[in-house]
Amino acid sequence: MFFKSEKNNGFEGGGLVLFESVEGALSGERALKAEGIENRLVAPPPELRRGCDLALEINLVEKPAVERMLGSRQVHFIDILPTRGGTELLQVVQVTDFGEAVMVKAGNMKLTFDKVSGVVLNISGGGCPDIPYLHAEMLAKPLDRAPRPREMGHTLCSLMLDRAYVQSLEIWKNGGR
Amino acid sequence: MLLICGTAPRKDLPLTEGEAILQGDTLRIGGAEIPCTQGTAALVSAAGATLAFLRQPAPRTLLVGDDGSGKGSRLLYEHLIGNLPRIAPQVVVLHYMLPVMGLMRKVSESASKAKKRPFMIADAAAMYAAKAAGIAREFDLFTPDLSELAFLADPQATHPAYVSRHLFESDSSRIPELVAAAYAHGSAARTLVVKGSTDHIAQDGRIVERLAEPNIPALEAIGGTGDTISGMVGALVSAGFDAVTAARIAVRANRTAGLYAGATPATRIWQVIETLPRVFADHLDKWARQAVDRKIERSAP
Repeated sequence: MFFKSEKNNGFEGGGLVLFESVEGALSGERALKAEGIENRLVAPPPELRRGCDLALEINLVEKPAVERMLGSRQVHFIDILPTRGGTELLQVVQVTDFGEAVMVKAGNMKLTFDKVSGVVLNISGGGCPDIPYLHAEMLAKPLDRAPRPREMGHTLCSLMLDRAYVQSLEIWKNGGR
Repeated sequence: MLLICGTAPRKDLPLTEGEAILQGDTLRIGGAEIPCTQGTAALVSAAGATLAFLRQPAPRTLLVGDDGSGKGSRLLYEHLIGNLPRIAPQVVVLHYMLPVMGLMRKVSESASKAKKRPFMIADAAAMYAAKAAGIAREFDLFTPDLSELAFLADPQATHPAYVSRHLFESDSSRIPELVAAAYAHGSAARTLVVKGSTDHIAQDGRIVERLAEPNIPALEAIGGTGDTISGMVGALVSAGFDAVTAARIAVRANRTAGLYAGATPATRIWQVIETLPRVFADHLDKWARQAVDRKIERSAP
């Protein structure tokens, strides 16, 4: 249960940004609001509390965008965590060998590339709106010249795609093994 | 009328409403051109191909540009919240959009204000939002893949990236268990179409169909092959098929389209979609007859 520091406007984010200091939390709120990223100041529940007694509730799905935004404005934060459930992002990566192509699956995202050329053949899975955008940007490019999902994406789906991308790059550089 | 709502991978596309037409690898809607890649463009294209074959009106489409920032998605949510009762579609498919729990709840409330609540289908992040907001049971049909089914089965997760490891690592042999958990936690729509190497169709907590042929493993790699199933299901329901029959025909058509396209991991989704008229011409009558026979079998004492 949260102790809300302002009137509930119906926003339910599911994610919490934890800060060392109250000043940090207030700076974070200003920075995110300036960029149009929805958030609100809350008191974190005791089981998640680290640092100060003030945190920002955000839409958890926007974790990568929030991290990038706060980082670019030098707003230091401790962590971004879900308000319920496990706090660890999925680390599991699964690989399928199609012969001439390899498919790497991370969470709900799959990236398939040509073993020899490293060209991105397909991206499938996911559901957030940056995925079709990344699909269009990355398709038909060699992995080492394709944009990195973490740098262009905004959502947790793009973070999973980034995991698949990093693993794909490693497999390709090892000769498709 | 079938209404399809989602985002397109273009930053500059305003909220655009109209009939969409697939020409080669490009979807044209309201003067805009959108590449037919993974996502709502693939869903719209497959729905359009299905309805055209059935000589039904083209789907009405609400598309907005969004690169993931959520700005376009929020416009779409607001439009639906304000206008769904007036539009009064028979079937709604909600698809790629930033999952925002509070807004999805309001969309569902708005749908209930229509004279007759539409048949509500959610796939992709619209499904994530519905589940995370705790309103999955207000929906008629979800189309998860195995990783998304694990998300539905995890009562705490608000996005598939935070699913419990033991659920995520489930193989397809555990699908019945995951389906049961999703229904038990109230995280499933009335009908689930679980897309995978073997497609499973479940209704009211019970698996009613498993389909594995033709087996085209490359389909899993091709971006958009889940979207096409959702588009075809929506089209078939709006044409009068019941949910299970529509799902059965859609997954068979998808697999057969993969066969006709000679699918490889490098195949593009529009190449699969362009075979659909041939797939339906060759098989739809037979599949529809089999569906009637199965219904008679099921209703026999």
